[in-house]
Amino acid sequence: MSSAAIIFSNLNTNTLSRLTADRTVAAIPFACRYRLIDFALSNMVNANISNINVVVNYNYRSLLDHIGSGKDWDLARRAGGINCISPYQMANSGAVKVYSTHMEALRNMTAYIDDMKEDYVVLSDCHWVANIDIKAAIADHAANGAEITYVTTESSESYTSKHPVLMFKTNENGVVQDVVISAKHQANAPEVSTGIFIMSCHYLRQLLSQAEAYDYRSLTYDVVMKNASKGCYRTFKHNGYAAHISSFTDYFKHSIALTNNRGAFYSLLGIPERRIFTRVHNSAPVVYLSGSKVDNSLIADDCVIEGTVENSILFRGVKVGRGSVVKNSILFGGTTVGRDCELNCVVTDKSVTISDFCKLSGHESLPFYVNKMRRV
Amino acid sequence: MYLKKECIAMLLAGGQGSRLYDLTKHTAKPAVSFGGKYRIIDFPLSNCINSGIDTVGVLTQYQPLALNEYIGNGAPWDLDRNRGGLSVLPPYQGNQHSDWYKGTANAIYQNLQFIKKYDPEYVLILSGDHIYTMDYSAMLKEHKRKGAACTVATIKVPLEEASRFGICNADSDGRIYEFEEKPKVPKNDQASMGIYIFNTDVLIRYLEEDEKDPESSNDFGKNILPNLLKNGEPLYTYAFSGYWKDVGTIKSLWEANMDLLGSTPAFNLHQRKYRIFSRNTARAPQLIGQGAKIENSMISEGCVINGSVSDSVLSGGVYVEEGAEIHHSVIMADVHIAAGAKIYYSIVDSDCLIGENVTVGSPDSRDDIQIIAKGSKLVSESESN
Repeated sequence: MSSAAIIFSNLNTNTLSRLTADRTVAAIPFACRYRLIDFALSNMVNANISNINVVVNYNYRSLLDHIGSGKDWDLARRAGGINCISPYQMANSGAVKVYSTHMEALRNMTAYIDDMKEDYVVLSDCHWVANIDIKAAIADHAANGAEITYVTTESSESYTSKHPVLMFKTNENGVVQDVVISAKHQANAPEVSTGIFIMSCHYLRQLLSQAEAYDYRSLTYDVVMKNASKGCYRTFKHNGYAAHISSFTDYFKHSIALTNNRGAFYSLLGIPERRIFTRVHNSAPVVYLSGSKVDNSLIADDCVIEGTVENSILFRGVKVGRGSVVKNSILFGGTTVGRDCELNCVVTDKSVTISDFCKLSGHESLPFYVNKMRRV
Repeated sequence: MYLKKECIAMLLAGGQGSRLYDLTKHTAKPAVSFGGKYRIIDFPLSNCINSGIDTVGVLTQYQPLALNEYIGNGAPWDLDRNRGGLSVLPPYQGNQHSDWYKGTANAIYQNLQFIKKYDPEYVLILSGDHIYTMDYSAMLKEHKRKGAACTVATIKVPLEEASRFGICNADSDGRIYEFEEKPKVPKNDQASMGIYIFNTDVLIRYLEEDEKDPESSNDFGKNILPNLLKNGEPLYTYAFSGYWKDVGTIKSLWEANMDLLGSTPAFNLHQRKYRIFSRNTARAPQLIGQGAKIENSMISEGCVINGSVSDSVLSGGVYVEEGAEIHHSVIMADVHIAAGAKIYYSIVDSDCLIGENVTVGSPDSRDDIQIIAKGSKLVSESESN
């Protein structure tokens, strides 16, 4: 029962604006040393999937740099391994059309899909962060004969996401009775798609030849919504931390939650049989100098801390100078905070410099964002 | 296949490291943890790749299991190559004789076949016991410029300690005229670092000669170098001026870890010029809890700190409970320090459990560094009753 994977790096409506000015969604740094794609990749690798295609279409330089040969996820293989697919032109196909839906992306990679020798394929977006037992989800799909199995989660609170997601009403056997597309999430109510769905390769190929014949443009509207009540879809519920990163505020909220919610931290990063892998940087351990005071924070390697850090996330190589106070903030790699600064609810992109005595404050509902390489 | 290399490295990693006691009871010294996330062998290996040397033979002998597993095929140091790369060289049974390595020179002698495979002009001899960063290609350049048969890297040591080392007495041009192994009255302070570059033909000749001498200790410092001098071969020093530490004793291993701390550490791991590569363990980020007190310390990935840590170096996955205190210590991987435990001036090997209210060492025990062996479970006396 072998599986391949297709990961979409940037296909959902790009509602993260600031964080994606310089990078694709999958390359967004998260939890002090990862990028969003690490969760999708690790989920696949932990399910013994080693043939992975990553569909890239937007600003993917840093993503490709991050993935490299795939070595750090054990994906530098002769048989399978990781493969990035960018939009490409074929003879007689006219101008290259950059895909904007899953269906368009899939229709553009039929050569890869025809080549897949595996039984199943797991498709995943990158804007949900979760540590999911994909192996169990595949087994569930294989045992129950659905056309598509969606990996779902239930929200613990009500909120409105920046873009709509698929929500499922299922019967007690996990068979989907109805599908709704909505941005209004309710606590413990319908199961919500985590952007991960499973089908057999055979079904996918069938779907794609249909798609050619009828010129489907959207998997959701041309296929799923039309067949929602026919009982051919199932859900596999994931219980545990699952963060939907649909907006900059969501990103901030879910990141900071990892600093003060131990359960969330361990549910994402503390499962020994399903570790999250990321690119190796060979950075040195963190140096805490005299006078440093750190509480409730995630600190990555290469940081040098001399000031106060509370409820914050510091990525690699961040320096916090003497007398500075950093609270409720997320500082991306290489950020340097000088002496006697005050930062509250601030997100700094990579290599930002905050000069001595600067005071910056946002609010948790509107964090203050500083662009990459800006000097404040 | 064309395998010729100009210079290859032979890394002696077989020593017992007996003066590290429990730390090397079941592990070769080069595999001992250092600086939080590293092992001692990361330094010579990283130096090789940073110096453009892509072919390294690692000679193992004592308790090599952890070391072999750690080194693997050399991938973490970019030494997994089709042409060259890293090779682990244990003693093996040949059709003429089988021998454990009798000494540093004998170890190289038994691997001459490996060296000849690459037909190098030069061989760099290293040991896996030292903490330092160095550009070996600069040393090779000097070796060529001076027309040396052998170059010995030297470092200035305090005169009062010079009798612990091999001392090189050289003229103003660096030409060695006398080599004294651990002299009672040292004539100068230039100590051999145990790093040599040989012209390969010279190396082979002297190793083969030395093997024929039944009185020989088959050691570079005791036998090979003096023999070269006796025959008037051009032997030169290469003066090295950076940080270098032989971590062969408990005290020096502890000191070397402490040398990493502070805003201007004696040995700065955060420099970019010579990146130190090591095998990645994919741990979660370190989580510093509410009320944690960390002062002048270095902490690695996967640690969870809720207690107090000062002047210490912590490896990956160390869990310090609230109310626990660590002072002036080196804590290795996956150690759990329970509430109320106090640790002073110690080296705690990996996978230990320091139970509630257990005290190890004392605030005055700087001259008597405690070692807690791997996997120990320490329980306080009141609990064990």
